[in-house]
Amino acid sequence: MNIIIPIKQVPETSNVKMDKETGTMIRDGVESVINPLDLYAIELGIQLKEIHGGKVTVCTMGPPSAQKALREAIAMGCDDGILITDRKFAGADTWATSYTLSEAIKNMGSFDLVLAGERATDGDTGQVGPGIAAWLNIPLATYVSHVDEVTNTHITVERLVEEGYQILKMPLPTLLTVVKEVSDPRLPTLRGKKKARATEIPVFSTENMNLNEGSLGLKGSPTKVVKIDYPKVTRGGKMVSANGEEGINAAIDELIKFLEEKELI
Amino acid sequence: MRYNPVTKKIVDELVEILGPKNVFSDQEKMEAYSHDETSAEEYGHMPEVVVTPSTTEEIAKIVKLANRELIPITPRGAGSGLSGGAIPTFGGILLSIEKMNKVLEIDDGNMMMVLETGIVTNEVNALIKDRGLFYAGYPMSLETCFLGGNIAENAGGGKAVKYGVTGRYIMGMELVTPTGEIVELGGKLSKDVSGYDLKQLIVGSEGTLGIVTKATIKLTGLPTAKSNLLVLYKNPKDAIDCVPVIMAKGLIPTGIEFMDKLSVKTSCEYLNESLPYQDCGAMLLIEVDGTNAEQVEKDTESIGDLCMDNGAIEVYVADNYTTQERIWSVRRNIAEAFKVVSPVQSLEDIVVPIATIPDIIPELDRISEKYDIKIPCYGHAGDGNLHATLVKNPNHTMEHWHEIEPKALRELYEVTKKLGGKISGEHGIGLKRKNYLKEVINPVELNLMKAIKKAWDPNHIMNPGKIFDLE
Repeated sequence: MNIIIPIKQVPETSNVKMDKETGTMIRDGVESVINPLDLYAIELGIQLKEIHGGKVTVCTMGPPSAQKALREAIAMGCDDGILITDRKFAGADTWATSYTLSEAIKNMGSFDLVLAGERATDGDTGQVGPGIAAWLNIPLATYVSHVDEVTNTHITVERLVEEGYQILKMPLPTLLTVVKEVSDPRLPTLRGKKKARATEIPVFSTENMNLNEGSLGLKGSPTKVVKIDYPKVTRGGKMVSANGEEGINAAIDELIKFLEEKELI
Repeated sequence: MRYNPVTKKIVDELVEILGPKNVFSDQEKMEAYSHDETSAEEYGHMPEVVVTPSTTEEIAKIVKLANRELIPITPRGAGSGLSGGAIPTFGGILLSIEKMNKVLEIDDGNMMMVLETGIVTNEVNALIKDRGLFYAGYPMSLETCFLGGNIAENAGGGKAVKYGVTGRYIMGMELVTPTGEIVELGGKLSKDVSGYDLKQLIVGSEGTLGIVTKATIKLTGLPTAKSNLLVLYKNPKDAIDCVPVIMAKGLIPTGIEFMDKLSVKTSCEYLNESLPYQDCGAMLLIEVDGTNAEQVEKDTESIGDLCMDNGAIEVYVADNYTTQERIWSVRRNIAEAFKVVSPVQSLEDIVVPIATIPDIIPELDRISEKYDIKIPCYGHAGDGNLHATLVKNPNHTMEHWHEIEPKALRELYEVTKKLGGKISGEHGIGLKRKNYLKEVINPVELNLMKAIKKAWDPNHIMNPGKIFDLE
């Protein structure tokens, strides 16, 4: 079973600071990590390989420094990593990103399964996985929480939906985006780290892929960020003092009136 | 020792000093100040009044009042202590430093910081991180504990192998003595032998020799690179045997933490985390930090290889925030997790010379078997400081537990002493261990300690009933 896992390197978000002027994140000094939700896809991929054999290839589109994320995934147990990098890819939205990634995947040879995280913790759209499936014209299941059965031709999965679970039998090749219930990501081993350091990471760029230049990067992105704004949080408390029996009764009346006005009772 | 009760007149006088908002005596509010992280049932005691002063002068006035009226005072930080040190055993006045949390100075030139002692330890580092500075005091309760409590207990933690314990970073302090005088000890000096080093006497004195209101702390450069190893072993012995091997190589990790399988399992279940503990008997968590990422990686790898050559089953690497936080939170939450699953227990804090820690593990097994109790063990193996925890067997009655607990503890302490160790490395003697101190300490040393206490606190009002009894 050949599995391809597109991952994203994101800023580690526990200590993020925002630039008050521009409304964007201050990236200086912020550590980059594998998108935490991609780790579940990586773990699932490695587990499927351990059971069914085959190969797991991780790929990421990003600056050259993103190869650190690929090596981390290889240290966990993935076999290969491919870095998709080019200045022309910069500023891509989910449409251009999924186009570029799908073209890269076409260049990686035959595959049975593409696994992706539910969404990235920075952009938070959840569109790139489904976008890749559309460009590749393969079936898609989102929010996959469990893999039930794998055969040579099909994969049966449980998908988290609002009312419960939906069980889908999908023909291969297919693309799944997974939620955290699907696996417990393992830690990379020291042996894995050493192997990852020695692994050669091929680079895909506009030079060795046949791409439609008009669909790349900022230029090829239909999404335009017009303005970034902070939502206004207006929270005002009201103190009601309740001294003595009369005061308590008045306070209760006031509270009831408030709740009625807000249609809460 | 006979103390006088806190009368209405005394409460009125306290209100006059502090204002009505900073003096309270209703039971519900005071309950939170009646215990620390030791068992409230066993050690807890209600104060008669709680005060929350904001200035050193206010504290001095309260201490003078306490001397005049012969009322005990118990100073209190965040209440996260593990020896009962902040419990008002004789009632009286509970003095919380929670409102004294101002940062007074960040001195980049001297790489020092002057703070009030009611600040949460973690906040210190949050404040100076952007300046490339770092305060290396690191108790495991860093998100809740106060600097003042760290000084009182000379707190250690998970980075002490490389950085040492709190005392190393306390350069100066402002102290309200047990008689109510205000004195500055030490200062921004790297060297100082002008008389006895009284500030270091205060460090670790468990609030019995005065109340530290301000502290001058030493800062270091912020380590920018950090890597962790989670090393799995077949059994605790293999893991512990490896510790002196690593230490003797001259590679200085920031910390070497030991966790046996039961500790890891309990914490993982508490946190809903899944570390691969199923097939191992114990783990070491080893941290390396520095300012050169390549060097840190190289040292981490050398230590990992050394572990593999000395009995480890597997070595996992955590070199980014996500994975590091995963494994450290398991380590940090062990004590809390055990409190939830087995509330009847005795969390110990023995410390032995590093080279002798392999000898302690078979002794723990022996005591565990003899008394038919579990003794999960975790702690700062790189410092020889282990938190062996005696846990009541659920099949035993409470009467039986009360009978065997002191016996098992005595045996543990005797073994510790025989190995050249002491009964507390970082939690303190406080209330919890004071009955055992005289059995494991030289009587001359104990008498010297008592003489110091009597000289500093003639009326014996400052945190009485802790470390030792004077009678």
